Amino acid sequence: MRDITLGQYYPADSFTHKLDPRVKLVLVIAFIVMVFLVKNLIAYAAVILCVVLGTLISRIPISKVLKSIKTIIFLVLFTAVLNLLFYKGDTVLWSWWRISVSLEGILFSIKMALRLILLVMGTTLLTYTTTPTGLTDGMESLMYPLKLIKVPTHDIAVIMSIALRFIPILSEEVDKIMMAQKARGASFDTGGIVKRAKALLPVLIPLFVSAFRRADELALALDARCYNATPNRTRYQIMKPTYRDLIAVAGTAAFIVLVVALNMNFWGAYVPSESLWWLFS
Amino acid sequence: MSDKNCETGHAEGAVIKVDNVSYDYRSGEHVSRGVRGVSLVVNRGEFVVLLGHNGSGKSTLAKLLNGFVVPDEGTVTVEGIDTRDNERIYELRAKVGMVFQNADNQMVASVIENDIAFGPENLGVPREEIEKRITWALDAVNMSEHRKRSPNKLSGGQKQRIAIAAILAMYPDVLILDESTAMLDPKGRAEIMETIQRLNKEKGLTVILITHYMDEAIAADKIFVMNEGRVIAEGTPREVFSATDKIAEAKLELPVASKISAELRRAGLDIPFALTDEELTEGLCGLK
Ligand SMILES: Nc1ncnc2c1ncn2[C@@H]1O[C@H](COP(=O)(O)OP(=O)(O)OP(=O)(O)O)[C@@H](O)[C@H]1O
Ligand SMILES: [Mg+2]
Repeated sequence: MRDITLGQYYPADSFTHKLDPRVKLVLVIAFIVMVFLVKNLIAYAAVILCVVLGTLISRIPISKVLKSIKTIIFLVLFTAVLNLLFYKGDTVLWSWWRISVSLEGILFSIKMALRLILLVMGTTLLTYTTTPTGLTDGMESLMYPLKLIKVPTHDIAVIMSIALRFIPILSEEVDKIMMAQKARGASFDTGGIVKRAKALLPVLIPLFVSAFRRADELALALDARCYNATPNRTRYQIMKPTYRDLIAVAGTAAFIVLVVALNMNFWGAYVPSESLWWLFS
Repeated sequence: MSDKNCETGHAEGAVIKVDNVSYDYRSGEHVSRGVRGVSLVVNRGEFVVLLGHNGSGKSTLAKLLNGFVVPDEGTVTVEGIDTRDNERIYELRAKVGMVFQNADNQMVASVIENDIAFGPENLGVPREEIEKRITWALDAVNMSEHRKRSPNKLSGGQKQRIAIAAILAMYPDVLILDESTAMLDPKGRAEIMETIQRLNKEKGLTVILITHYMDEAIAADKIFVMNEGRVIAEGTPREVFSATDKIAEAKLELPVASKISAELRRAGLDIPFALTDEELTEGLCGLK
């Protein structure tokens, strides 16, 4: 439960850390779109290169990156196996009943697994290099058009900020409650799904009770600190794009062009040789 | 707090005036007693302790002081501002800072300096000024080196000091701590006591401490004892704790030294009433 990396800032003094959060947010959105558009393996290779470079520039240790992948590894394996067994491809290698493994299926499940892993790596790159305050301030700033139509963007930002702050606190609490219940003989990792789900009930109820109690005190604390005192709220954290942001945008744009080019075989100009078809399909 | 004269402290007049205040919690038909007929004055620069058993109305009184709730009867004024004055309610809340029991539930940002900035930001303080206030507030609670860190890895006492700094950054005149030491270990409690006593002595901050620990009350300038929504005793620690019948009525325990000296006196020994361990030792040594 403790490995919730989302919202876990990794302090370091890198190029990426110094970028304007808004720029990073936009770049990550562009990255996500890019990952969803990629079709062939050679283009995936380019995306992988992009993420690896990004991670290196951000000075985030490999262990941290692996930790974030670990949290979704079950999902990745599960979808990969399903894709492998149920993808209807032409070149069938093995089949039994309704299940069949095809060459296309293998390629497809590899791509899906890569897609999930790359998505997580790309987005955690954002959360590792941006303080939660940076993130929420950035989002609030990007939501500016919504503010014009009276959407309470600042409240949304404060809610996000508080959510990010309480994720580690509540996950620690889950640990404690689970330990307390285990000490009373509860077991969370034996039995069927139904039994396990039932075992979680005595964890969830105290968790909710405690969360509501926390919310009560938090509400008072927000009032005590004059939340909503004036519409002319000031901001301590300043966001100002610098030359770095220009470089980051240019770099990412170059990668996007490269990926799109590879994805479309350079708009049909390049016809791959027969033996390399798997890279380009 | 900035314009305050630190040394002269006590004689500078009232910051908070509570005049014959009653307040009950109402939800539909149900009414539960908050406080009844409370009158008190807190002077500038004083270190005031509020004692009372569970449900005696301490938190309710605290909430009345910064306008979280307004009196059913009577008035509460802070530096002349009536807590009923909706126009000035935020000005009032900035003047009367409140720190609660669980520091974790009082922090809104994941980096300490951003959390401390939250109050001044809400008040519309200019950026450069916020910068200064953060530096000052962290220095006041001796936590400067943690400025850029996350509050999650701190000890309980350190977290509570950050919560205090977050209030100090609003430049309050009065700091109310509602059982802010209750969840801490002895070391954390000592940290907080040291911090608030220093703030009170050096910066002239008026402190109102709500606590269950009698030893924290010994250092007070003035103690108010609450029981069933009323203030049943007030005075210096010596006055309050030597009125043992009142303490018993409020179902409180005496500080350890006082308790021992009181028991010894009852047993017929001729020793003076002792407030601190030192006084007790002196008293015992003086025995022939
Ligand atoms: N939000 C509320 N709604 C209804 N009744 C309340 C509420 N808060 C407090 N009370 C009631 O008001 C009375 C005084 O409570 P208060 O919280 O002021 O006591 P306290 O001295 O702070 O106690 P504790 O030491 O437990 O914090 C109690 O009887 C309590 O039941
Ligand atoms: Mg209370």
